[in-house]
Amino acid sequence: MTRLSQLSSLLLFLSFWFTAASDVHSQQTLVQRESARVETIGRISPSVVCVMAPNGEGGGSGVLISADGFAISNFHVTSGSGSFMKCGLDNSKLYDAVIVGIDPTGDVALIQLQGRTDFVAAQRGDSDQVRVGDEVMALGNPFLLASDFTPTVTYGIVSGVRRYQYPANTFLEYTDCIQIDASINPGNSGGPLFDIQGRWIGINGRASFEKRGRVNSGAAYAISVNQVQLFIEHLKCGLIVDHGVPEFTVETVEGEVVVSQVSELSEAWRRGLRARAQIVSFAGRLVSSANDFQNVLGIYPEGTRLPLTWRDKEGVHSATIRLRPLHDFQKAPELPEERKPKDEKHPETPDDQKQKFEAPEELPKELNRLFVERDGFCNYHFNEVQQSKLLDPMRARIGTKGDPKNVWQISLASSGSETKEAKTPPISLTGELTIGPTAAGLKLDGVPYLQNAENPVAAEEPAQLPGLLTAVLQLRKLLSGEKAAFNEQLAMGQTLHLPLQKSVHILVTREGARTSRWYFTSESPFPVGVDVEYGQGIDEARLVFENWQESENAVFPGRIGIVAGVQEQLTWLTMGEVKVKQ
Amino acid sequence: MTSVLRRNVAILQVLVGVVLVLTSPTATLMAQMLSPTHLEVVALRQPVIVKLFGASAGSLDSYGTGILVSKEGHVLTVWNHLVSTGFLTAVTADGKRFPVDTIGTSAEHDAALLKLKTEPGETFPFVDLAQATDPEVGASVYAFSNMFRVAAGNEPVSVVHGVIAARVPLEATQGRWKFPVKSPIWLIDAITNNSGAAGGLLTDAAGMPVGLIGREIRHASSRTWVNYAVPLTMLKPVVDAIMAGKKVDQKPKDATADVAMISDKDLTSKYGLTMVPNVVERTPAFVDDVAKDSLSEKSGLQRGDLIVLVEDAVITSITDFQQQLANFRTGQRLSLTINRDEELKTVELRVP
Repeated sequence: MTRLSQLSSLLLFLSFWFTAASDVHSQQTLVQRESARVETIGRISPSVVCVMAPNGEGGGSGVLISADGFAISNFHVTSGSGSFMKCGLDNSKLYDAVIVGIDPTGDVALIQLQGRTDFVAAQRGDSDQVRVGDEVMALGNPFLLASDFTPTVTYGIVSGVRRYQYPANTFLEYTDCIQIDASINPGNSGGPLFDIQGRWIGINGRASFEKRGRVNSGAAYAISVNQVQLFIEHLKCGLIVDHGVPEFTVETVEGEVVVSQVSELSEAWRRGLRARAQIVSFAGRLVSSANDFQNVLGIYPEGTRLPLTWRDKEGVHSATIRLRPLHDFQKAPELPEERKPKDEKHPETPDDQKQKFEAPEELPKELNRLFVERDGFCNYHFNEVQQSKLLDPMRARIGTKGDPKNVWQISLASSGSETKEAKTPPISLTGELTIGPTAAGLKLDGVPYLQNAENPVAAEEPAQLPGLLTAVLQLRKLLSGEKAAFNEQLAMGQTLHLPLQKSVHILVTREGARTSRWYFTSESPFPVGVDVEYGQGIDEARLVFENWQESENAVFPGRIGIVAGVQEQLTWLTMGEVKVKQ
Repeated sequence: MTSVLRRNVAILQVLVGVVLVLTSPTATLMAQMLSPTHLEVVALRQPVIVKLFGASAGSLDSYGTGILVSKEGHVLTVWNHLVSTGFLTAVTADGKRFPVDTIGTSAEHDAALLKLKTEPGETFPFVDLAQATDPEVGASVYAFSNMFRVAAGNEPVSVVHGVIAARVPLEATQGRWKFPVKSPIWLIDAITNNSGAAGGLLTDAAGMPVGLIGREIRHASSRTWVNYAVPLTMLKPVVDAIMAGKKVDQKPKDATADVAMISDKDLTSKYGLTMVPNVVERTPAFVDDVAKDSLSEKSGLQRGDLIVLVEDAVITSITDFQQQLANFRTGQRLSLTINRDEELKTVELRVP
């Protein structure tokens, strides 16, 4: 009895507690949501940049991505301000900034703010997880309203994802972008889009401007942060980064992506892709329309190697292909007239309230040295910095061991093949590799091969180890440690090395018709691989390196893998000690 | 208190307690079910929107939006130039394309009901207009539309958010055309007055249907672009009537009484143009005869042409055509858009 009444009181209490709790809950959500939003805006505002030309005119927005001052903006924002600009942060301070790299096709620019090592960077989100209906905040400086550079915040929802917006001429193309209904106005360009937790998910760069003139229309577009991320290391190399083409064209036919034409000189052709094949997936994403395909293609820098799966009469096939350059810019392109930033001040702002800065003084020397002009580059200074980062540690280890006049002799034995799926026992191959300044020779199971350094041809390569001789001739040059070993060299950014499934930094060297992409990781001063193009219409020589050995007179990998075939099979060679003949 | 009574009270307490325990979390749960997230509303409503593609005319767009309002593929949209000029194709959320028939129109409500030409038995997700609701002013709303033709094929349409700003009668114009709906409509603070958005769906925060997104029109006095939607509670009986085969497109007889118009006689004597007999309420503006060597013949008009536009104004009937012509002064050049053998042509003539 007593128990029963106790139980009943407990139940009563619980019931009231539930009622009270649910009421409090619903009341608190609004208040809590607002204070959470206010807290988030306070936290993310220091990463938002107001980007202006040196005299304080024009301008747009940007977002800091690292403590050393690197910031992302739009190409169409920075293109008007020259090599240097002034940047305001929410602490009301102005900083000098220098242009680093540009991506005219994707409308992205990288700048570096100077004068601090503790800039507040935005925390990056994953734009592939963004869904229609998600709440978002756009921060920036529309109409250059804030004379103290405090960013303006506009709120909205995601109206669409994976949108495609056509290019102006052949650049400023928005692929795979995020459509939002947050107000985006002139001056917002280049500024960050954040999700409601304050994670950076995009760069606001474009809007459907129409009958109202250049003001918000409820449809604006942000470049996805995942696309920007694929370009950041390229941009850090001071490049005019290019986008890529696959050397075949597609069209939508009844909900399928169908190949209409394939270049006979293309890698895709050599892997067996023909007209009328159906593209199933590209870069790991299923595609069902030509727009889908363009959306996938548009987010990658030129030179990226991507997996492709297609279906034809014989069945389903997979291979990887390298994207070829779309534009090959030698200089930054001029913006189309209608995309040039106009005077973005608010029409209702009286002229006397216009922001003014003192006339640009002579640039200080320490700033001047941050910019080096060179054809094909946005700012060559940053390429030199990256080249040093990649090459200096290796050159230090090589020292004087690389004398290019020396001939190296190395024994080799195959130690097995592997693909992603399976490893096979070693095919028995033994040989002797000789690398000299003008040629490389190989005696493989008694059969001789000889490849010329100046004019290598595919027919001279051993069929079991295609590309080995051409690639080791390039390797011998790199390992000479000499600064002028190649006609041209440049740092090229970062990519995912598919056979190794590792993120690698790229160094490109050119010499004659040979272009080599060397891949470096932070774990070793020596490259983990190289891909050598040595002629049109033939496969690249692709090697991976492991187990580097340093002897008294040479440095050489202890294991070399040769990547070949549709399945990208790796044939591993165990290399003996280098015998040096002077 | 006797023990029996105490027991009864206790039992009552237990019962009340149980009921309360059951009801309060249930109520919370129900509240949660009734107030779905942005994501749930989007998932619910995006599939009921169709993208409409038709003929562009003058400065008017060749694309628009419609709402599926029946399982069989009836589509509600605004009665604008897209519907009037014909050649409509609808693309459903899964990317399928359908030719479209116009089932009925209501000038008074500025609405048109279309029907997808489907295979027998084909069904569609749709908005049940019986669920149409009239929210409070200040309520959160979502607007779904194919504005700016951002989405193509099977790509989902755009969604923007806002609140109901007011429920008021709207005086607005598009060129010489006057917004006909007399009863109050929804004004929204989201930008819906955009290319291609007309015919889109306005829902409340729970995804319940609220309005049919209106045209690109300006307020008659302020000349600002008006973001509005016509209440679906008002359109439901109209849709029901059209589906039931009733004629709804009737203007009050005196509505056109004081509007200037070119008479049949002037049309024949000055323009050399004779229209088909104007026998029903809204006889389509078909040309019956073109006089030899007349202005109309020189402009290229032919017997059988259907006049669909005078400049940017949509022509819905012979009377409408005669009224539109009266807006031009002698010597002015005007363009007529005509439908000839299922093809749109434009001819120019100088007003006599």
